[in-house]
Amino acid sequence: MDFDWMKIPYAFLTVFIVVNYGFLMTALIQKIGARVGRRYGIPIWQNYLDMIKNYGLRSSITHGAMFYLGPVFRLSGGVGLLLFVPSIYGSYMFSNLSFAGDLILALYFVFFGTLGMALGAAESGHPHAAIGITRGLSQVSMAELPFGLAVFSVALQYQTLSVTDIVAAQQGGMLTWTLFTNPLAVSAAMLSFLGSMMRPPFDVVIAPQEIPIGPPTEYHSSYLALMQTNRVIFPVAKIVIYMNLFFGGATSWPEFFLKVFLIYMWSAFVGVVFPRFRVEQSIRWFLVWAVPLGVLSIMVV
Amino acid sequence: MNALTIFAIGLGTAFLLGLLGERQKSLGYMLTLAALTFMSAVSASWLVVFAATGADSFDIFTAGTAPPFAINLRMGLIEAALTLLINLTGLFAAMHMGDALLRLGQRAMAVLIIAIMALCGIVLTRDIFNLFVFFELIVIATAGLVLLSDDDSALAAGFKYLIVSQFISALLLVGIIFAYHATGTLNIDGMAEAAAAIDPSVSGAFAIAFFLMFIAVVAELKPFPANGWALDMYEAAHPGFSAVFSAASGTAALYAVDKLLQIGGTDWLPVATGIGIVTFVGANLLALPQTNDRRLLGYSSIAQTGLILTVLGQQDIFGDDYFFIAGGLLFAHALAKAGLYWLSALVAGRTLPDWAALQSRPLLVFAFISCVAMLSGLPPFPSFYAKWELAHLLVAEGRSGLLALILFGALVEAGYLFRWFGYLIKRATPAESIACPAHQLLPIAAAVLGGWALGFVWGELSSSYFGRTNLLLTLPLFFALTFLLLDWLPAWVKNTLAIGGMVAFFSLTYAEYDPLRLIFAVIFLIGGAVTLLASYHAHGRRIGFYPAAMLMYAGMIMLIRASDSFGFFAAWELLTVGSYFLILRGKHSEPHALSYIVFSLGGAFLILAGFALAASAVPPAPTFEIAQLADLVQPVAPWVFLLLALGFMTKTAAIGVHIWLPGAHAEAETDVSPMVSGILLKAGLYGLFVLLMNMGKQSLYGVELTYVMLWIGAITALLGNLMAIFQEDAKRLLAYSSIGQMGYALFGLALMNHLGWLMALMFVINHYIYKSMLFLSVGGVAKRTGTREMFKMGGLITLMPLSFIATLIGIIAVSGVPPLSGFGGRWIFYNAILTADARLPMVLIFLSGPIAFLYLFRLIHTIFLGQLKDEHRRLKEAPFWIILPQMIYVALLMVVAVVPGMVLRHVDAYISQFFPDGALNWEGSTITSQFGYWNPVAIMIIVGVIFMLLFGWLLFVNRRAQKVKQFNFVFSAERPFRPETTHFAWNFFAPYRKAMGFLVQPFVTRFWAAVTDLLHTAADITRRLYNGNGQTYAFHFLLFVVAVFTFRMGM
Repeated sequence: MDFDWMKIPYAFLTVFIVVNYGFLMTALIQKIGARVGRRYGIPIWQNYLDMIKNYGLRSSITHGAMFYLGPVFRLSGGVGLLLFVPSIYGSYMFSNLSFAGDLILALYFVFFGTLGMALGAAESGHPHAAIGITRGLSQVSMAELPFGLAVFSVALQYQTLSVTDIVAAQQGGMLTWTLFTNPLAVSAAMLSFLGSMMRPPFDVVIAPQEIPIGPPTEYHSSYLALMQTNRVIFPVAKIVIYMNLFFGGATSWPEFFLKVFLIYMWSAFVGVVFPRFRVEQSIRWFLVWAVPLGVLSIMVV
Repeated sequence: MNALTIFAIGLGTAFLLGLLGERQKSLGYMLTLAALTFMSAVSASWLVVFAATGADSFDIFTAGTAPPFAINLRMGLIEAALTLLINLTGLFAAMHMGDALLRLGQRAMAVLIIAIMALCGIVLTRDIFNLFVFFELIVIATAGLVLLSDDDSALAAGFKYLIVSQFISALLLVGIIFAYHATGTLNIDGMAEAAAAIDPSVSGAFAIAFFLMFIAVVAELKPFPANGWALDMYEAAHPGFSAVFSAASGTAALYAVDKLLQIGGTDWLPVATGIGIVTFVGANLLALPQTNDRRLLGYSSIAQTGLILTVLGQQDIFGDDYFFIAGGLLFAHALAKAGLYWLSALVAGRTLPDWAALQSRPLLVFAFISCVAMLSGLPPFPSFYAKWELAHLLVAEGRSGLLALILFGALVEAGYLFRWFGYLIKRATPAESIACPAHQLLPIAAAVLGGWALGFVWGELSSSYFGRTNLLLTLPLFFALTFLLLDWLPAWVKNTLAIGGMVAFFSLTYAEYDPLRLIFAVIFLIGGAVTLLASYHAHGRRIGFYPAAMLMYAGMIMLIRASDSFGFFAAWELLTVGSYFLILRGKHSEPHALSYIVFSLGGAFLILAGFALAASAVPPAPTFEIAQLADLVQPVAPWVFLLLALGFMTKTAAIGVHIWLPGAHAEAETDVSPMVSGILLKAGLYGLFVLLMNMGKQSLYGVELTYVMLWIGAITALLGNLMAIFQEDAKRLLAYSSIGQMGYALFGLALMNHLGWLMALMFVINHYIYKSMLFLSVGGVAKRTGTREMFKMGGLITLMPLSFIATLIGIIAVSGVPPLSGFGGRWIFYNAILTADARLPMVLIFLSGPIAFLYLFRLIHTIFLGQLKDEHRRLKEAPFWIILPQMIYVALLMVVAVVPGMVLRHVDAYISQFFPDGALNWEGSTITSQFGYWNPVAIMIIVGVIFMLLFGWLLFVNRRAQKVKQFNFVFSAERPFRPETTHFAWNFFAPYRKAMGFLVQPFVTRFWAAVTDLLHTAADITRRLYNGNGQTYAFHFLLFVVAVFTFRMGM
């Protein structure tokens, strides 16, 4: 196999850019959310402070091997997802490791981190962790369906599963974006997007405001640091897929930053407006509102 | 030796017995046995002569003149065989009832001899009045013999029998008088000739005369529903004699009907068919709710006789095969029924569960199941060969409706027989052991060995006349049956032999398979051998395990090797039966094994009908090659497709016919579950492959059948997965997961494109590996914890790390998450659906994918993670031999994950001959399709490197992490009470049930429960007619006569 070793430093560069961008952007969005709630919000560099604090904590415990590996799985999932998809269209440097597989690889790799994390959290023996996982899995099983249908619809539309080819097909002005050529699929996918961003109304999985519940319950110090890193990489990686499939991709980093931010804002926007669903309510919500759109999109494409 | 010696000996001995004194009972008994032996020898000698020389039958003239002036007897091959059967039945019955005969004295012995002699007479005579005389003799002898029984109700039964018999005799006699008047002869052949040329003015009168004779003789067959009297006899008589009553009397009466039908001509055949099929179906239905063993056998006897009567009624279409079919059914029935009646003498109680007493005697269990298999028409018994020809000839003549009724009746019969077998194997053994005196064992052994021997004979006949295979001579089956003889060896020796045999057979034959078959062969033989490694953990002799397992594997490998429909079907039945025995071994598997065998046989019957239909649509040839399926055209082709597809889908547990699977797979033993799930399910997929490869797309009434299959596959995948997430029992969870996985494979096949098939094959390989592995690891855990309920476990990861690793790798592979092999299946799936015509069913498949995560996570979490229970703190890792195959599977999964091309590229090329478009491109380690690409090696390396980097980083920054105890976690400043209340495991996906539970209402289970209930209730209602009153029975008979008469005249 003739492998271009330069891809490795390039990949590191992508990760570096995305991590820093993610730190700042998620903090910004936190802040925007706080302002909507008439609060002042966190400083924009809060994420960096948290990281330093978490790595600096001296107390550290483990509940076992899987517990230890959970965050590793989680972050590998985020980084892998990011690297399996080209970040910048037309750039060899930021095509990352997309030679390893196409869209399907990315879609399925999403679950790598989720599964590993779930296993790790479960070994802590904390019932709240397990409860969070059941909620998360239940919700994601239905929330992902419209997205899956939308991807199928887009793949049918462009007759390819290669992310690069799908982005290529959308070059030539905004009106060639899938958003306008296949609005049904995009609508379905964007509703599905809400379900995977862990924001209201679909954030009962980690229930951040209440007692510590959800998969991260027992994680602390450097574990939490790894998970926090993932918390900024993973949404960006996921949004990159959305951006590439539906919004014409990005040909430069500024375009990338803008599009990712705007797409992220969609979930933040909905999140500050709507209250939280219980799991069975969100399952029904996706089934009733998002799935039919997805089905329609594959029927008419 | 002159056939008349039979009568001479019979009469002479009976006379002699009368001369003996009261105290010479033993001598009398010796004389009886000697006489019956001699009579048998006469028949046997003639049988040898006819079989060896192929000579024609010849007539024996009594009184030295030709008929019609004197009575003539005829001896031929058929007569020799039938009299031999009768005489031997008599001989062994005499042996069996030795105690009773010695107690009752010479008169009873004489009556028995006279009965047997008279039965031979019925077979041999060609004179209608003589026939009447012999019938009269039998009536008297039978009534006498019934009274031999210790049973108090025998007296009443005998009396009822006499009432009805007088009725019958009267009809027969009146009939004979009028027939004689019309034809001027009493000779059967003469009467047949005269009847054919009869003057039209008297033909009506002759028809009535014939009707009277016919109905009288048919009544001797105890046709449904005019047979209450006979049932009381079966129930009350000494079992030794019931065997004669069932096997010998039935045989003679059937042959008498055959003779009468020669007189009546083809006009009367439909009447015989009608009575026969009503009897077969009705009696089998009525047998369903029976609780008394002998009465049940009585019903079964009547049903079998009805079946043979149906065959007699269809003789116009059977030609030369007539005796092959009728004989196959008759001998199987006679031997099996005699064997079972004799067995019943060993069992003290009279209800079916009492037969559990036989459990301690493996040889008797073998005898029982041999008899059941003979009655159910399973290979390699004569009834199997007969069933095959019967189905083909009926369908060829457009009599599919009749075949459907026969198969329905046969399924009901198999249902109650196998239910009984289930009781025998699984119910509690009574405290007192059973006595097995040699004189009672010998007859049983004779019947069983006779059955096997006839299986061989019928196989030889089948191979010499029809060019089929003699199953007993096929190497795999022979190998499997040798384990019956080796069952006394310790389990590990047999296990080694089994593994060695399977590997050796594979290494001898692997060059013969094309890539597709090779995959299945590897899974069946090598995969089977790997799974068998787990069986080394079993100690002792493990009686019955190896013959069953080897039977299943033999069936599977014969299935792949079969080129014609007969070999395929025989293999299918063998693997079904073998796996049934395996499943039945589970501790609580009795009802599940029954449901498995009933569904499987139902499926097999559909396949039989499908092949019969297919063979009827091509030019007549001795064999129907599987490849000829491709030659079929409308309108037959879609029906063949439908029947075969339904049959195969029963095995893959498609939704609607899936209810047998969860129990069967979950309740099976630890090392059996992976066999029946990981390996056996592939047989159904292989069938579907073969079907689709040869027949392609078919449409029926404008509906494309593959499209329907696509939907069935999708619904199965969804509902299988959904049901899996709500299981509390780990093995049931895996079983439902198998249903879902088979749904995926079915879906892939039904896509009918290149990648769809490749995906199905990927599922075949993957499902074999990970499901075998998961069943083993869960089985190992269940073995240690003593429960399969997941919420009772928890936190076992540190105690059973290897089982955990196997489960972890297994669930990652099942879920399709990269970098393991499941992902390959998903990737091919996405590429496959992009070229598919249908899109809606995809939605269901899309939904079922993520649902798999739910149950998989539940499986690993509730068993290995979470809170360890106090009672499990001292558990050890699962036994070495259960872990070993799991580790092999882990390695295999890794190999398939990294280099899937090793296997798949060959198959990919092979599939190209069916679907040239859409083949994958295997360049280096990258796999490219028309739409996308995928590089398993790169994925594995990238994921591995990222993972190791991050892991290294965490180790570096977190090197001082301290391991804490189980309850040391943040719990709102409280301490958890105990593991049971802290382990979140029971009703794990409660929110999901709230949202989607409506989809998993057990509609299908309720439907099938309603069907079985309906059958039982219908039988129960009819049973009220059988009130035990002799007058009522006589009235039934009268009604029956009127009904048949009306039917005949209305024809």
